[in-house]
Amino acid sequence: MSSELEKSFVQQLQENQNLIHKICRLYTDSEDAHKDLFQEITIQLWKAYPQFRGDSKFTTWAYRVGLNTAITLYRKKTKSVSTIEFDSKLHKIDQDEYNYEEEEHIKLLYQAVQQLNDIEKALVFMYLEDKDYSEIAETLGISEVNARVKMNRIKGKLKTILNP
Amino acid sequence: MEELDLLKKDWKKNENKFPKLSEQEIYAMLHKNSTSVVKWIFVISILEFAFFLALTLLFNDNAGTTKMESYLNGFSTVVTILDYAIMVYFFCLFYINYKKITTTDKVKNLMSNILKTRKTVSNYIFVKIFFMVILLIIMFVLFFYNEPEMINTLHIAEEKGKLFIVCLVYFAAVAISVAVFAGVVLLFYKLIYGLLLKRLKKNYDELKKIDF
Repeated sequence: MSSELEKSFVQQLQENQNLIHKICRLYTDSEDAHKDLFQEITIQLWKAYPQFRGDSKFTTWAYRVGLNTAITLYRKKTKSVSTIEFDSKLHKIDQDEYNYEEEEHIKLLYQAVQQLNDIEKALVFMYLEDKDYSEIAETLGISEVNARVKMNRIKGKLKTILNP
Repeated sequence: MEELDLLKKDWKKNENKFPKLSEQEIYAMLHKNSTSVVKWIFVISILEFAFFLALTLLFNDNAGTTKMESYLNGFSTVVTILDYAIMVYFFCLFYINYKKITTTDKVKNLMSNILKTRKTVSNYIFVKIFFMVILLIIMFVLFFYNEPEMINTLHIAEEKGKLFIVCLVYFAAVAISVAVFAGVVLLFYKLIYGLLLKRLKKNYDELKKIDF
């Protein structure tokens, strides 16, 4: 029976793994750390899976566990390699489609986001994922109004990082 | 276009460009050990309870303590019962709080539950240390007034007119050893706390700040 559970879990996770990769992208700065966090989120999702009833979407449920792991449970290894290497690796794929200037700008933007703190990253992540403010507020456990205020502050902070 | 919207455009474009893990790779991950903060807190807390339980058992079964017990006259049974009662109380509280930790909770609730669980154990440690320090002082005082060798030494000192100095040295030694004992334990705690919970506390404070 447990192997049946394992099978359905692995299947769903495999299909939706991008979601976890995206969280890892914002919260880690090297390929090793990315893999490490991915593994920890997978373990936490698996531990919580027996309580997953299927009355909410797998992705909605996985968001919560994934973010909680990244912000709260995950213990960063002290050794970390520079962020630029890994990010440019991801970006190279699209080199032909982008013009150089825009690509540079986006690279800088990612670097700016990396400088935000863990909570700010969570807000940015959910914003990038098109989550509305009520869901952002509910996930973090803050009020909707304050989630909006914080988001505006983050936008300002990013501007300052980019144009010091 | 606003910065974040530019980023969003790119974010969506690159959504499917991550290296895809196979089902086998995910299977392999399921059976790896978690390195999460909660697991560490659980392990360390259990070790702490075990350590103090061992210490209590050791203390109760020691020749020196047996001697002390003769001065204490049954008072030691009360101390032992109180000691275990405190331990059971805190362990239950720890377990209840630990059970409340769930990764599907709101970020803020999860953090607060983890901190509460940890707080229970450190409260236990502080109560226990306080308890031990008091007991230590009582023991030293009893030793001072009851131990024949001590009384003998005091008599000799009195004859030589150095009673005050002997008393002073004795109680200074007591104060210093108690302070060193408490200091080492506190330092050890600051270290564990700092290593494990620094980031969590920082994030929790950050989250609380948003709502105020």
